[in-house]
Amino acid sequence: MTEITLQVNGEEVTRSVTPRRLLVDFLRHDLGLTGTHIGCEHGVCGACTVLLDGETVRSCIMFAVQADGHRVETVESLSDDPGKLHPIQKAFWENHGLQCGFCTPGMLLATKELLGANPSPDESEIRTALAGNICRCTGYVHIVQSVKAAAESMAAEGGAR
Amino acid sequence: MKPPPFEYHAPTSLDEALEILDSLGSDAVPLAGGQSLVPLMNLRLARPANVVDINRIAGLDQIGVEEGRLTVGPLVRHSQIEASPEARDELPILSTVVPFIGYPAIRHRGTVVGSLAHADPAAEWPCVAVALDAEITLRSHGAERVVGADGFFTTMLTTVKEPGELLTGVSFRTDFDAFGFYEFARRHGDFAIIAAMVALEIEGDSVKGARVSVAGASDRPLRVAEAEAAIVGRALTPETADLAGDAAAEAVEPFEDIHGSSSYRKKLVGVAVGRALRQAGDRTEDRS
Amino acid sequence: MTAEGQAPKFFGARVKRVEDPRLLIGKGTFVDDIERVDMLYASFVRSVEARAKINGIDITEAEKMPGVVRVFTGRDFSGKEVRCVSSYDGFQVSGYPALAETEARFNGEALAMVVANDPYLAEDAAEGVVVDYEPLTPVVNAEKALLEDSPLVHEGWHSNAFVERRYQSPGFGEAKEAAKHSVSGRFVMARHSGIPLETRAAIGDYDKGSQRLTLWTTTQIPYLIRTGLADAIGLPENRIRIISPDVGGGFGVKAQLYPEELACSLASIELGRPVKWVEDRREHFLASHHAREHVHEATVYFDDDGIVDALEAKIVVNMGPYSVFPWTATMDTGMAMGILPGPYKIKHYSVLGYPVATNKAPYGAYRGVSRPAACFTIERLMDQVARHRGLDPAEVRRRNYVTGDDYPYKSAGGLEYDSGSMVESQDLLLEKLDYRGLREWQESERANGRLIGIGFGAYTEQTAHATKEFVQRGVPIVFGYETSTLRLDPQGTLVINSSIHNHGQGLETTLGQMAADALGIDLADIRVEYGDTSQAAYGSGTFASRSAVMAGGAARRASEQLREQLANVAAHNLEAAPSDIEFESGRVFVAGSPDKGFDFAQLCRMVYHRPELVPEGQQPILEATVAYDAPPGTGTFTNATQIAVIEVDPGTGGIEILRYAIVEDCGPMINPMIVEGQIFGGIAQGIGSAIYEEFVYDEDGHLMTTTFMDYLLPGTTEVPSIEVFHLETPSPFTVGGIKGMGEGGAIAPGAVIAGAVEDALAPVGSVMVDTIPLTPQRVLGYLESARETAARQ
Repeated sequence: MTEITLQVNGEEVTRSVTPRRLLVDFLRHDLGLTGTHIGCEHGVCGACTVLLDGETVRSCIMFAVQADGHRVETVESLSDDPGKLHPIQKAFWENHGLQCGFCTPGMLLATKELLGANPSPDESEIRTALAGNICRCTGYVHIVQSVKAAAESMAAEGGAR
Repeated sequence: MKPPPFEYHAPTSLDEALEILDSLGSDAVPLAGGQSLVPLMNLRLARPANVVDINRIAGLDQIGVEEGRLTVGPLVRHSQIEASPEARDELPILSTVVPFIGYPAIRHRGTVVGSLAHADPAAEWPCVAVALDAEITLRSHGAERVVGADGFFTTMLTTVKEPGELLTGVSFRTDFDAFGFYEFARRHGDFAIIAAMVALEIEGDSVKGARVSVAGASDRPLRVAEAEAAIVGRALTPETADLAGDAAAEAVEPFEDIHGSSSYRKKLVGVAVGRALRQAGDRTEDRS
Repeated sequence: MTAEGQAPKFFGARVKRVEDPRLLIGKGTFVDDIERVDMLYASFVRSVEARAKINGIDITEAEKMPGVVRVFTGRDFSGKEVRCVSSYDGFQVSGYPALAETEARFNGEALAMVVANDPYLAEDAAEGVVVDYEPLTPVVNAEKALLEDSPLVHEGWHSNAFVERRYQSPGFGEAKEAAKHSVSGRFVMARHSGIPLETRAAIGDYDKGSQRLTLWTTTQIPYLIRTGLADAIGLPENRIRIISPDVGGGFGVKAQLYPEELACSLASIELGRPVKWVEDRREHFLASHHAREHVHEATVYFDDDGIVDALEAKIVVNMGPYSVFPWTATMDTGMAMGILPGPYKIKHYSVLGYPVATNKAPYGAYRGVSRPAACFTIERLMDQVARHRGLDPAEVRRRNYVTGDDYPYKSAGGLEYDSGSMVESQDLLLEKLDYRGLREWQESERANGRLIGIGFGAYTEQTAHATKEFVQRGVPIVFGYETSTLRLDPQGTLVINSSIHNHGQGLETTLGQMAADALGIDLADIRVEYGDTSQAAYGSGTFASRSAVMAGGAARRASEQLREQLANVAAHNLEAAPSDIEFESGRVFVAGSPDKGFDFAQLCRMVYHRPELVPEGQQPILEATVAYDAPPGTGTFTNATQIAVIEVDPGTGGIEILRYAIVEDCGPMINPMIVEGQIFGGIAQGIGSAIYEEFVYDEDGHLMTTTFMDYLLPGTTEVPSIEVFHLETPSPFTVGGIKGMGEGGAIAPGAVIAGAVEDALAPVGSVMVDTIPLTPQRVLGYLESARETAARQ
């Protein structure tokens, strides 16, 4: 077992893990942050996407020990209060950007990264940025609309979020 | 799909890493980006007894320019190349290549050098390395050697790297006059079915020197001398580009898998080489 | 006092979904999110062979490995199996064991189950189980499996066909003789399936004290699972509770009883501790049920005007080794036989159907069930008729469609099309796309050397089929109704408990929309609950585009009953006639005197807390249960036309979709936003069927596509922005005239894209595109054939 200390959603956590423990299992089962999902465990589907030091990574192909000393943000970091949704969450709600909701956490975080780098992406930029996040329900049309709407509402709010 | 158990090592200096690798020999595998290694471990197709994580070693993530070469350290991520002014200035073609590699989340973690070490014959970096006459530095405890890309890849997922060695950098030649890269994959971000990269030296109206490499056509990235011969000494036109493509297709005997038969890949080699050369031609025209 | 008297407030509105907030903040509850005290974890050892005799399984090393509590093999669960027997004459029966004991019948079949106190350790120990296989010759190809000299998948069977079905309409022979022209083809749709992003998962939790088993499982059909499980493991049904919480996509894949559900239950009963299994993606490819593998040999007979008079077909479906519960092995063949004539007025029909046992993975439901294959065949044939007669594909279809005056129309396949708008839908789409302009543009681009193609797909989609249909199909369970129980509490808030499941379809919202208007209450005051067999009386679940129509119809009917109960109480206390009581915006009052009445909540509280004010003979509770069997029982028919514009890259064989558009008519829409989401999702899956998705087996029956690097799902860059337009032709039979529509989008894209590719290649030469998915290699093959045809002419 190796002791690791990292910041998860703004809070410092220290735990002992076996070296092989995948970051996604650490988040879900050791910390109870079950918003991050497992879809393939080989880095293709994007359901397990989290932010590591502000950048999207696949938590299913990273060991928890590798996150020692780093900063991790999961979907729960956006807002865990249905009454105070983050503008991206709100845009997905208003534009029907989710159906079963399983890919949604990864989509939201990929969107957050995109809009951080490019506050007003066009459709092709949105599609390229989300190409590594598979959704099996929506056909992506409403997801693309949601991202556009999120960009607009964040721009209107000053993009400070 | 959980990885098998292993010992974890997190050296904080290169010397320490090399000592560990030396002592463990073939029982150890270095971990840089892990975007190929960890999926293989989850599938239990790779089961290293020891994993040596080099991510805690400072200074391995440098991109530099030295003597007509772009140098890339062993922890340089794909996405760093996209953002690097040095890479943009010295080898603008790389900004065409990198978006073909997986997705943003993969490019944030995966490394250039790790991709070379993994040596997937359909991957982009090995193909780029061959076209750009790359030199790969391998260090072991007390020794260092530099191997040219032409001799680096030996077969599927295998290179000349010996147990105890670590790839500590790669440098790409930059003194070409024109470049082209074309990739065809089933979907955006997938490994190529076939990709082709060309790097040309041009004098006046004609091609003086050419390096043409192809991914996905063999057990390793392939340098296609026949295509090079077909274009050297000629003007780069759509017609000569296609002729060189035909020569490339003629020269290869690709493997087959579920994404494409050997004969399909053979055709694609011709198309990819032809299109990469046409692209190089277009870019040359843009500049003149 | 009918609800129809008022303008609906929620029915038909684009309201935001009630279920979204919890999913957006990462607080959904999926099976893998559930932890139980003292829980154990299972890992399955799966057959590496397609077919082999199991000479022995050595578990001695595995049992000694760290964390291992128990290793089960087939012997431990002997005789525990899934059985599903059709009532068709001559149906050959198979048992699908919890763990195979003597023979493995597909690559990936579960042979042993390791139970350990950690999932990583369970997987380690599974590698320590040693199976002694004696490989047998596998049966892989369904058509070859029907040959006399084929090995048999099941000992004692007389052939590999589960059953042989035939139907011939009177006068077919004469019509065939009389026909002036015919075209034939052999149409192949590769094996693929729904591939939900969440894999399957189950937790068996047996409580030795109460002797009750709770099974949390990722299922679309909790009540049927309870019955099937009770029958299979021999536990009384009143001691089993199935809970299916949030489910990450189903698409039919999660609408079967699986051996792993038996195994987790049996292991928990044996060990007295909760046993959790979470399928990994590789297992999902190997052992979650596959679908779609059809081969159709078909011929249409037609006249000079391209009017099709007769259709002849042979349908072969590769079912894998077992008949799955609750569908039986006849589902795909039966449905394809019925719907093959499609939306066309084809009078004469002859068809043979063979569901064939093979040594591939078992075969179950996937969105559209057999209709994508049927649509592919008939639409490809319609395009051939057009080409044969030199007609535009749109024109040939128009000449053959069932039209307004024909409804209700009894099809040559024996289905009753209740209503539809084939011609109107096509016309609207052609108009929206400026079809003539599009063709002109295509011509000009062809002159520039571009391979641009336009493809069509039209269909009528049987939805919400109920008792009558399933009786005809010979299934052991007639999926005839869905149940909704509505209960108002003293605060006047409503709970709807329904027998359906919701895993993306928005039913937590639309069932509320169905119920709200009759009671004049707000959606915020309604909760929809499902997925727990302790909640509703019984019902089948969510599949076959039925839930909104059937559970929604039930909810509407039950809400009307509650309205009646409340109206009686209000009338009794307001000294008015019940028929004069109105419900609006949270008020219940006498018509014309809004002040003379009660707040809705006040009235509900009165019923529960002041029983003396309830009229005699009425119960002092507010509850209504309706099981709704959507009339006429043979389904209500949604219809659509889809068109794609594509470009083929002659160098690579790659297909780019330039435009994709649909007109869909599913009757009045409860929530158009949700309808559109379903359409987009269905079309995206259909694009997967058309271009990307295929389970590839080698000659020995080994599955070659076991990762997302090999089995390709369409992503954001593969699915275009889809244009959608609506017509709303109501069903004459269902509550509110609504029709199902969940599957429709997925039905046509195979036909549409194939037609478009064929059209794109037309300037090169004539070729019939008859196989999907259209991998780039296949497309180049067709291009090559087109060149050869041109060279021969």
